[in-house]
Amino acid sequence: MIAVLKRLASIRLTLLWMALLGIGAALSYDNPVDTPVWVLVVPLALLGVNLLAAIITNTRINRRGGLLIFHVALLGIVVLAAFGRLTHMEAHIELVDGMGFMPERLINVRQGPLHSGRLDQVHFIQGPYTVEYRPGMVRGLTHSHVLIPDGAGGWERKVVGDDRPLILEGYRFYTTFNKGFAAVLTWMPDGGQPETGTIHMPSYPLFEFRQANRWTPAGASEEIKFWLQLETGIDPEGAWVLDARKSRGTLVVRTGGRRVELQPGGTVRLEHGVLRYDGLSSWMGYKLYYDPTLQWLFITSMLGVLGLGIHFWKKFANHPWPQPDDGGKRSERDASRGGKAIIEEGRVI
Amino acid sequence: MEDKMVAEMPWLYTALTAYALATFVAIMGVARTRGGAAGAAVSRSYEPLVLGLITAGVVLFVISLAERWIRIGHGPFVNLFELLVSQLFSLGLVYAVAYWRLPVIRPSAIVVMPMMWVLGLWVLTLEPVASVYPPTYHNKWLWAHVGFGKFFLAFCLIGSGIAGIILLRKLPRLVPLFRTLPPDEVLDHVAWRFMLLALIFDSLMLIAGAVWAQDAWGRYWAWDALETSSFLNWLMLGAAIHARLTYRIPVHVGAIAIIAIFVFAFFTYFGTPFYSEAAHKGVI
Ligand code: HEM
Repeated sequence: MIAVLKRLASIRLTLLWMALLGIGAALSYDNPVDTPVWVLVVPLALLGVNLLAAIITNTRINRRGGLLIFHVALLGIVVLAAFGRLTHMEAHIELVDGMGFMPERLINVRQGPLHSGRLDQVHFIQGPYTVEYRPGMVRGLTHSHVLIPDGAGGWERKVVGDDRPLILEGYRFYTTFNKGFAAVLTWMPDGGQPETGTIHMPSYPLFEFRQANRWTPAGASEEIKFWLQLETGIDPEGAWVLDARKSRGTLVVRTGGRRVELQPGGTVRLEHGVLRYDGLSSWMGYKLYYDPTLQWLFITSMLGVLGLGIHFWKKFANHPWPQPDDGGKRSERDASRGGKAIIEEGRVI
Repeated sequence: MEDKMVAEMPWLYTALTAYALATFVAIMGVARTRGGAAGAAVSRSYEPLVLGLITAGVVLFVISLAERWIRIGHGPFVNLFELLVSQLFSLGLVYAVAYWRLPVIRPSAIVVMPMMWVLGLWVLTLEPVASVYPPTYHNKWLWAHVGFGKFFLAFCLIGSGIAGIILLRKLPRLVPLFRTLPPDEVLDHVAWRFMLLALIFDSLMLIAGAVWAQDAWGRYWAWDALETSSFLNWLMLGAAIHARLTYRIPVHVGAIAIIAIFVFAFFTYFGTPFYSEAAHKGVI
């Protein structure tokens, strides 16, 4: 058993597997879509086995505390990263001002087979947001207002945006550049209950000139085309702030050859009911990210570096830095002292 | 087009001049050791002047960076011009401290300072246009990431300077220049010491970068161009350290490996973010 482990622990194999990992990483450069994840997983697994065997059998690692910590941490990082991939979750969601988070609204969901978070415990309500733009339409800071449970039955206000995600139950919500306006509509079908909902327009200001969408009411034969004419203060040359609360939107409704312009509160009679434009709202696109290993990865890698630091500290302390020699004459500090200490038994340490 | 003589430029020119003078004095000083009978004491009186000039350059770069910071309202983290000036400052600073504390490495200035000049000449070809500070850069991990990276590159540079001497010594004509220095084996050891330190700071740079990436782009690692390149650089360094422990690698081969690692780091820093559209995607 030990003999097998010692073979698996060969440092020559370490170099070979490192080279393989280098090739795998090079193939993954810039994330080409056609590179399979195996080019990384296989060398990492081989390195993991090699490293584990070395940690068990090689006294040059396991008798030296700092170096041992470092190599165990390397192994830990590989194991944690693998566990992270199995349990992670990534998705996107668009939330309208005033709307609560609903897991069923998530789109582009990708998750590991072992994902089991408490997504059903995540509660927050989207509020308004602002996005600063600098001259030349360069996006600046985003401030997205949300309400989160305060733990006492009420709601607490929080502002997130850019590199400050909203973190609830380990799920991290990042604002994205994908955000825009929505029209709040109430559909009052003939003889039915009124229903209020929103129509999301494409991302703003990216699709400034395509603020349109369409919808077909239940039972209707013809779809309704919506176009939002916006006044947002947009200024391609100067600085401005995108803020739905300070913007105005006229909703152009086109159906069955008719074209009607609605101001907030305005209604239009259609085939099977009445449509009311309640007003302008906004939606924010979030990226959701969940990985339960994040803080463990951080702690493990920092411990690893600490171990390496301890190892080098000891190593350097044992062997003083060499001093220069003043042309054959010994300098006042015995020039060769360091040199001798460094070359021990003919081996450079 | 911006006026070329913006506030930071005069300071930049003077700083580069100080580095140029340091390079000149270092080369002249080392060259002088060629003469003199074997066994005669070698004058190292030029060394304080070299140290003084590098230090003056560092101070002038600080002023240049501060002027620019005041002018455009943010630190030197975004475009190539800023990155190069910032590195000229930090590489000089770390090298000056090493030069001061470790007399044995001082002749390496004749390799290190010309390498610094590669950055200096490059910066002179660039326009000091104001950059736009991305929203995701308002993050304290950026500072840690950049700071650790600076030490990593500086230690690689010092290692390369010493490795450069090992290689220059292969030329018989140049052997007398370095007769105050210990044998190659000892220089090799010192150079690798710096590479071991470089590994620590490289690891810290990757960790801080991953934490920042998690905050900024919602993922800690995604094999984007810059991440992949810096990981390859880390792996290369680890593999070289291992190879040296496992095999008896000739010192000049080790020296070439050190320089290769530095060159790779150089391209990772100054190449990748500017030729790859996708480097640090969130910037855009
Ligand atoms: C994955 C399999 C690995 C194995 C089996 C392994 C094994 C070893 C062994 C046996 C030593 C002691 C060598 C000696 O003193 O003679 C060592 C030292 C070391 N290893 Fe690893 N290692 C692995 C991966 C890595 C990686 C990925 C890195 C970093 C990139 C690394 C960095 C180091 C360092 C810095 C030393 C100390 C060098 C010194 O004291 O000068 N190792 N490793």
